[in-house]
Amino acid sequence: MKPPFYRRYVIVALVCSILSIATVLQMMRINYTPFALDLIAKSEDYQGVRKTIYPPRGTIYDRKGNILATNQIGYEVGLDLKFVTDPESIAFAASTLLEELDYLDVFALASTEKRADENRYYVLSSYVSKEKVEELEQIKENYAKRRQETKSLKPSLSGLIWTPMQQRTYPEGSLGANILGFYNYFSRETAQGVFGVEEAYNRLLTGKPQTVYMPNDPNLIEALPDIEPGASLILTIDREIQKMLEETLQQALDWSGGEGGTIIVADPKTGEILGMASTPYFNPNEYWAYEATFPGITPYNRAVGTAYEPGSVFKVITMAAALDSGAADLNTTYNDASGVYWVSNSWPIYNWNYGAWGVQDMTGCMRYSLNVCLAYVAIDLLGPDLFYEYLQAFGFGRSTGIDLASEANFPLRLPENNQWVTLDLATNSFGQGIAVTPIQMVAAVSAIANNGRMMTPHVVRSVIDKGQQYNVTPQVINNPISPETAQAMTEMLAYSLEEEASIALVDGYRVAGKTGTGEIPTELGYTSNLTNASFVGWGPTDDPQFVVYVWIEKPTISPWGSEVAAPIFKDVVEQLVVLMRIPPDSVRAGMVSD
Amino acid sequence: MKNHILQAYKQAPWRIQIQWIGLFLLALVLVASITGVYLSISAQAAASGRKIQSLERQINNINNEIAELTAELATVRSIENMQSKAEALGFAPLNPREAVYLEIPGYNPHADLALAPPRVSIIAESPSVRAAYKISLWDWLVQNIWQAPLRESQLEGEVLP
Repeated sequence: MKPPFYRRYVIVALVCSILSIATVLQMMRINYTPFALDLIAKSEDYQGVRKTIYPPRGTIYDRKGNILATNQIGYEVGLDLKFVTDPESIAFAASTLLEELDYLDVFALASTEKRADENRYYVLSSYVSKEKVEELEQIKENYAKRRQETKSLKPSLSGLIWTPMQQRTYPEGSLGANILGFYNYFSRETAQGVFGVEEAYNRLLTGKPQTVYMPNDPNLIEALPDIEPGASLILTIDREIQKMLEETLQQALDWSGGEGGTIIVADPKTGEILGMASTPYFNPNEYWAYEATFPGITPYNRAVGTAYEPGSVFKVITMAAALDSGAADLNTTYNDASGVYWVSNSWPIYNWNYGAWGVQDMTGCMRYSLNVCLAYVAIDLLGPDLFYEYLQAFGFGRSTGIDLASEANFPLRLPENNQWVTLDLATNSFGQGIAVTPIQMVAAVSAIANNGRMMTPHVVRSVIDKGQQYNVTPQVINNPISPETAQAMTEMLAYSLEEEASIALVDGYRVAGKTGTGEIPTELGYTSNLTNASFVGWGPTDDPQFVVYVWIEKPTISPWGSEVAAPIFKDVVEQLVVLMRIPPDSVRAGMVSD
Repeated sequence: MKNHILQAYKQAPWRIQIQWIGLFLLALVLVASITGVYLSISAQAAASGRKIQSLERQINNINNEIAELTAELATVRSIENMQSKAEALGFAPLNPREAVYLEIPGYNPHADLALAPPRVSIIAESPSVRAAYKISLWDWLVQNIWQAPLRESQLEGEVLP
């Protein structure tokens, strides 16, 4: 028997069930309407953000651990339109504190209605100082208090956000900037090292950025992955030597009227560059002034980026080749009867003073820097094959492999090239008609100072990565000459300086060296009166610990390397021996005998 | 007769009701317990999440502060500043002719600067994760409950020098 009102109960139950099912179906349907999908898409904005974390860029130290490049924190101030509620307050605060911002511009931007398909974040200013950000924070707090008091939504800086970001800084200012290069940090996504060590070691210094998803739901938050900072570098550069070189070079340019110049100091035994000054000087903290400092084709570092005709300093290479090959020995003589040497009976070669110097041995040829003698040695004694073989063994015609960006290299014109003529051999022997970089000269001459072993010039001494230090092992490039030849060359050039009572001589220290005066070619030939004045020297001769290369471009006080570059060499060495703690020869001899 | 027997063994209606109520309450307690545990864990996870965020922020701030202080120290110790301080203290650049050199046995002015430990090829096992977290519960029980007395007895039997 059915209970009373059974049918009515059934109808009510059915109606309730149908209504429930209909409600559920409607809820499901609403979820798939375009409006709902749009809403869901919008909600993703609030679920979290995908963020790229950039590891801090590695620090660069000098050889004694002084910081040459590191990071400080600057702030990016930006506007997130999604959260903006009070454009007026934002425009007022931003334009008052950040001078470069205009009230109306910020107000217009902050008043823009945010559209879903548009970028909602705009950068107002990059690398704002910590002090200014602290002021903004103070204003924000004050506004929050006022809102509480007035129970209103204004004033508010909601939407104005600041995030810390890495900013490269060079505490020594322009010191060593030509070696360091710079880091163009303004655009964080495309920032990279430019020139010098910053470019050559960019990948190591940068580290590996990682993109992570950061949910807003606290249940989903996880610890961020450990991101290793970029590797740090210890350079071979000594900041005291570097400063001394830069000051000496600047004084030398002021005194000589030169257009530019470079001085390099290297350790011939390891190839380590101890200092490398190059004009113009540049403050990498203001790297945006790069184009004003280096207009046109001005090289960033002329020590590695400029090839030039070195002049007579190159005779060191020619003479080393002649002695090492056996084509000449110290007693070989040349009779400079007329002061002219005819190449293939067509082209005359003259001495620097157009004079005749009579019978000279090889030491005399170097001492008086006789072009005719060196042309004779190259053409009649060495011959083109042997001469260019030695030049290539000394590394000319290819890069030295120094770990700095933008190394220039000028290919050698060899006898197998169509344009080569015998005159090239004659002029190349005394450093004309051939273009070399100062660093190539340093690497080649270091072989003579280092018993015939040529080392790869380098500026990085150690790399610190993942908490461990890797020391760079000096690399031998080649052994272009024998130790005996190297010692003979050192003795010959030391003797030449002493006999000439050269301005380059340094009290208490025996040094070897050679001057160079290179003519500068123009479109019409060697018609300019301006020259490249150079000097290359090393010492102490019994245990060479430094090679110094000086190049002054277009000096006006005198065209001669012996008058312009030699005194700069002396000046550098006098300061260098103190900074490198090298006792005078007599003191060292006493120490050895003790 | 059959009905009589059934009636004799049939549960009293109130007992059946009590059983149903008991089952319902059991289910309710179970659901409440699971909900409670879930809520508690969720709350803990949320609190942990916020703590992680806060610690990450602290790490960031500390790293930023370290970077700031490092840069500041480097500026204070820059060669320009150090020279002017030295000059203010009455020091002057050394004249090579006035230099006095002393031989110090064992001193190597060209020694490599060490700012970090040298590279090592052996990578030690990370000690941060304890062994207990890397084995199953069963293995842990075997090791610590069943094998532990065995090890102790072995040790007791060993003859130590």
